Amino acid sequence: MILFLQSLISGVLIGGVYALIGIGLTIIFGVMRVINFAHGEIMMVGMYMTYFLFTLFGIDPFVSVLITIPLMFLFGAILQKLFINRILGALPQNQILLTIGLGLIMSNSIMLAFTSDYKILTTSYSSSSYRLAGLSISKPLAISFLITVVITAVLYWFLMKTDTGQAIRATAQDREAAQLMGINVKWMSILAFGIGSSMAGTAGALIAPTYYIFPQVGSAFTLKAFVITVLGGMGSVVGATLGGVIIGVVESMGAAYISSEWKDVVVFAIFLLVLLIKPSGLMGTSRT
Amino acid sequence: MYKKIAVMVMILGFALPGVSQAAKVKIGFINTITGAEAPIGENLTNGVTLALEDLKKKGIDVDLIKEDDTGKPEKALSAFEKLATRDNVAGVVGPYTSACANAVASQADRYKLAQLIPAAAKEEITRKGHKYVFRLNAPADVYSSVLMDAILTVDKPKTIAYVYANTDFGISTVKTAKEYAKKLGIREVADEKYQKGAPDFRSTLTKIKALNPDLVFMVSYEVDAITLMRQSREIGLTPKAFLGAGAGFTTSQFLAQKKISNLVFSSTQWTDDVNWPGAKNFYNRYKSKFGKVPSYHAACAYEAMLIMAETAAKNGGDREKTRAGLKSGQWNGIMGEVKFADYAGYTNQNNHQMLVQQIQNGQYETVYPAKFATKKPIFPFKW
Repeated sequence: MILFLQSLISGVLIGGVYALIGIGLTIIFGVMRVINFAHGEIMMVGMYMTYFLFTLFGIDPFVSVLITIPLMFLFGAILQKLFINRILGALPQNQILLTIGLGLIMSNSIMLAFTSDYKILTTSYSSSSYRLAGLSISKPLAISFLITVVITAVLYWFLMKTDTGQAIRATAQDREAAQLMGINVKWMSILAFGIGSSMAGTAGALIAPTYYIFPQVGSAFTLKAFVITVLGGMGSVVGATLGGVIIGVVESMGAAYISSEWKDVVVFAIFLLVLLIKPSGLMGTSRT
Repeated sequence: MYKKIAVMVMILGFALPGVSQAAKVKIGFINTITGAEAPIGENLTNGVTLALEDLKKKGIDVDLIKEDDTGKPEKALSAFEKLATRDNVAGVVGPYTSACANAVASQADRYKLAQLIPAAAKEEITRKGHKYVFRLNAPADVYSSVLMDAILTVDKPKTIAYVYANTDFGISTVKTAKEYAKKLGIREVADEKYQKGAPDFRSTLTKIKALNPDLVFMVSYEVDAITLMRQSREIGLTPKAFLGAGAGFTTSQFLAQKKISNLVFSSTQWTDDVNWPGAKNFYNRYKSKFGKVPSYHAACAYEAMLIMAETAAKNGGDREKTRAGLKSGQWNGIMGEVKFADYAGYTNQNNHQMLVQQIQNGQYETVYPAKFATKKPIFPFKW
């Protein structure tokens, strides 16, 4: 029983961070129909930012999120303005190549600047936990889960209740119609890519105290982000949240009850199963 | 007549520098300079750099030909073929990784060119009876057996759990660990392979905690060691001892994580506080020259280059005599006594004494074997 609860808690907590990565990707896809293959690399940039804010200025990773979010938003907005906007009407393979290229440039520039050495961010709470009835709840994961919940809630409110949020959703639903209604869709795209990047950057910041940082760290998370968004339904924020938590729990349970070697197999088996039954993903609506 | 004199003078002119540098010797060095294993490869390069300085002081001028295998066996092999046929070296030091060293070992006899492996652990490299393949470091089975021997000096453990990376090194080390544990009557309670670089081991560790093993044996590269120990602390996994087989548990980064690395045992080929001649001096020189702490790989590469170059110089760069020189020679340097012997199925294998170190108060302390130990092991483990 303890093993089950412990795996469930760990899975949900790590799933929260996964969800954040997935939400970023899903927003970008929803608004622009561009699959961002540089998502993991953007996350990696967020990790390095957090690392240097901590080691140079002593700002705690969970506090530095307040700096990382606007900086990463700016970074994403610039990427969108300079590169992505130019290929919005292009063939999907051109878009994919562009984002892959951007990702490669990011990871290699970081490698040139800071070498490929692993960076380890150690805070006073990096390995501590709360004890609760025989269970241990990782302190850094619990805090990052709370931050994730707050960010997701704010984002949801923003998309649902504000005019700009509605404009973003309108752009996602039908770009041309939105434009005809007087929405500045280019500006919405910049906004969307900015939000997506700051989500990825924040996920990087939140995972930094428990993981490690190196220039190629992004690629593994790009793959994870894909599985999460496709599972939840491309373009759906709620779906990505759900997808993240599901993947987190499945990984954790797989490692506990089968073996850590097989946990990825379990994840992909479930992924395929969902797609077989509901090809548009859990919360996705099929597009014609 | 003048022409003849001119020719004579020219010949002398070319020949004389050769006479004055009688001890110039050509050695090949295959290493991983780029690619994923490059950070460790850097240690080997630096070790060899120091060896060349010392050889020069002894009057041996080495013409070193460096080759990068990028960690790929086929590249290592073509580098070796080039060194053997085009560069005509007297001997080769390297390659670093097990996979590359193994590939080269299969060809050394064909080219009749002596190969001295400094730090690759895979057992079969010196198990196939290759005449021209020599290995300085101890093979993989010793990584695990020496750790258990060290624990046996303070306790009689009953159960053991294995957590290890799904890699060549991880799998082969645990395989030999299991055989040795069986011999000692230690029961296996868990066998957990994991994907290198995974962010979350919590449920695996919870499972192991429930089984309450006396020993937790881990084989991990680089930073996985840190992730594993952090999460072990979170979960509250407290065996009598954590055993780390080399690699990720012997780095300065691991040492710097004081909260989670204290009291962890690890096996290593070399430590700076061991009383082998010149070990401490090597450590100091390395640190001041490169601004980093040397790993055991650096010491292995240093000693291997010294042995190879000295032997080749003594034999005038003749390949066959160099091989015979390695086979019959004996050395005593920063890696302790070195002799390439045939024993227990191995050929030309140095029966190197591996060491067990334990982190005590933020320092690696050698705790086993007793005659090299600086501190007594602290047992059992506590957070």
